[in-house]
Amino acid sequence: MNMKTQAGAEPTPATTGTGAAFRPVGTGSPPRLSGWRRQQLAGWLFLTPAIAYLLFAFALPIVYNVMLSFERTSPATIGNLTAPFTGLSNYRFILHDPTSRAAIVRTFEFTAGSLFGQFIIGFALALLFSLRFPGRTLARSLVIVPWLLPLIVTGVIFRFLFQAEGGAVNQLLMNVGLAHHPTQWLNDPHLALWTILIANVWLGVPFFTLLLYSGLQDVPVEVKEAAIIDGAGPWQRLRLVIVPIILPVIEVTFLLGFVFTVKVFDLVIGLTGGGPANSTQLITTWSYNLSFQQFSFGEGAALNNVLLVLALICSPLYLLLSRGSLRRSWGADT
Amino acid sequence: MTHPQKSRALRWLCTLAAAAALVFVLFPVYAIIVGSFESTETLFSGTFYWLPHAATLDNYRTVLQGGSASTQAGVNTGQSGNVLTSLIVGLGTALLALTVAVPAAYALSKYRLRVTLVIVSSLLIAQIIPAIVLATSLFIVFHWIHLLNSYPGLIIADGTYAIPFAILVLRAFFFSLPNELMHAARVDGASEWQTFRLIVLPLARSAVITVAIFAFLAGWGDFIFALTILNGAGIQPITLGIYSYLGNYSTDWGAVMASGVFAMVPAGVMLVVAQRYIAAGLTAGSVKG
Repeated sequence: MNMKTQAGAEPTPATTGTGAAFRPVGTGSPPRLSGWRRQQLAGWLFLTPAIAYLLFAFALPIVYNVMLSFERTSPATIGNLTAPFTGLSNYRFILHDPTSRAAIVRTFEFTAGSLFGQFIIGFALALLFSLRFPGRTLARSLVIVPWLLPLIVTGVIFRFLFQAEGGAVNQLLMNVGLAHHPTQWLNDPHLALWTILIANVWLGVPFFTLLLYSGLQDVPVEVKEAAIIDGAGPWQRLRLVIVPIILPVIEVTFLLGFVFTVKVFDLVIGLTGGGPANSTQLITTWSYNLSFQQFSFGEGAALNNVLLVLALICSPLYLLLSRGSLRRSWGADT
Repeated sequence: MTHPQKSRALRWLCTLAAAAALVFVLFPVYAIIVGSFESTETLFSGTFYWLPHAATLDNYRTVLQGGSASTQAGVNTGQSGNVLTSLIVGLGTALLALTVAVPAAYALSKYRLRVTLVIVSSLLIAQIIPAIVLATSLFIVFHWIHLLNSYPGLIIADGTYAIPFAILVLRAFFFSLPNELMHAARVDGASEWQTFRLIVLPLARSAVITVAIFAFLAGWGDFIFALTILNGAGIQPITLGIYSYLGNYSTDWGAVMASGVFAMVPAGVMLVVAQRYIAAGLTAGSVKG
């Protein structure tokens, strides 16, 4: 807001005259012959730290991870940068190891379940918040709380709430008469993943709510009114008018939700640590276990690459949905 | 019922629904805060108390002074040092993110460079890369170049959460600045650096604050890089401290919850004092670090 006033105080091209008359996009004043080259140089210099960082913290680890997945590593080779080449044996291990296979399948199930729950609840809340009612601003600002907490804290909170003895969930279920004895949420291999799923839905709902809410804000009032005049009921309005309009937002939300859920790690470690009996190992936690607890970095790296491929499957779609941002990269906006 | 009355009743019904939703959203946070003030006897009584039962500061004392029966990490000297560590890591991550991201975002929005499309695509993809993939490799690379167990190592790793997000958010902001601003400065004889430093940077203040807050929270809340790049012997942020209280068979709940409350403080403070920056960041980036 004060940005505008400050911007107004700056000299505008109109007051400074000749300079900007026939400039190419983004380049400066023609009077300096070296202007274009000077700006190219400056642009590159501004970019240098970011390029160096991306190469060191993203490109190098990804390439190194691929190398690692083809190496026979052992605790003794960790001190070296490389280990003997071993072909596809790490990938063969991943495909035959029951825990790894289960972790891959479970990651899919967990992600699908989470997205479903997050979308249903998030969309319901987004619709609620787009109505006018007393206290909605406060409610909207409080609903993002889960999103801001460190994930490990969320993990331990839910571990506390789902304890068999003295946990709030069992206490509630027994108090209202839905259960007669405590449920072993975290110690039962069939239930533990559900517990993580519930925690993850809780965690992801604010994100879905906020994005879908901002999508709903863009639905023109006239369209909604026209639908009412045409006699569409609330459900028809939602299904035939609102959802089609905000479909792009829904797509982006699902995509980002997928990417976010597929990497969940802290939550599982905080809640179950992957147990009981590896029944809640996801790709991320099992990869951590292989690399950092069994010191089989090669096998961990192979599993990492499965995860990487899974996550990157979305990248063309993600780039497509971000094309607005990319298109500006051509300088067409200026 | 007349129409206005009906709609007023409906509005209050919405308030009621929102309140019910908020109970679910906020209850876990409430439970950890109340729990952190309960005595060990209460916490292990096998009964969950919905309201504060017998409030005590014992857990906070334990956590600040150390001396808890720490279960996984072996040594635990108390969380006060860990809070400081997390502050350093959070501030370091914010500083690194700003140093790298502000000039980069400026270059990617206001200069016409051949690499722009490649870099922006890479940044979008970088946000997708799971941290565990980076952590495994960074562990061995850092081992090789002696960055394990160090602040710089951890901060560089935590930057992976913050930097792509920061560049993209700042870039979107810089697009909103009129190019005439830069042209005018150049015509007046300012160098590229002066234009950036004296004209652009002051205008970007609110976007910079938003990005700094998110980078800080990413560094503060990081667990996975702390778990892999630090091996428990040297520095230990609060997230690892919480983890160290979790046991396979017994968990020191009082200590876990008191440290958990400490770990929630920055998010709580930001939510109160920097609400508008948080909201701006959440919608602008659409991605959590």
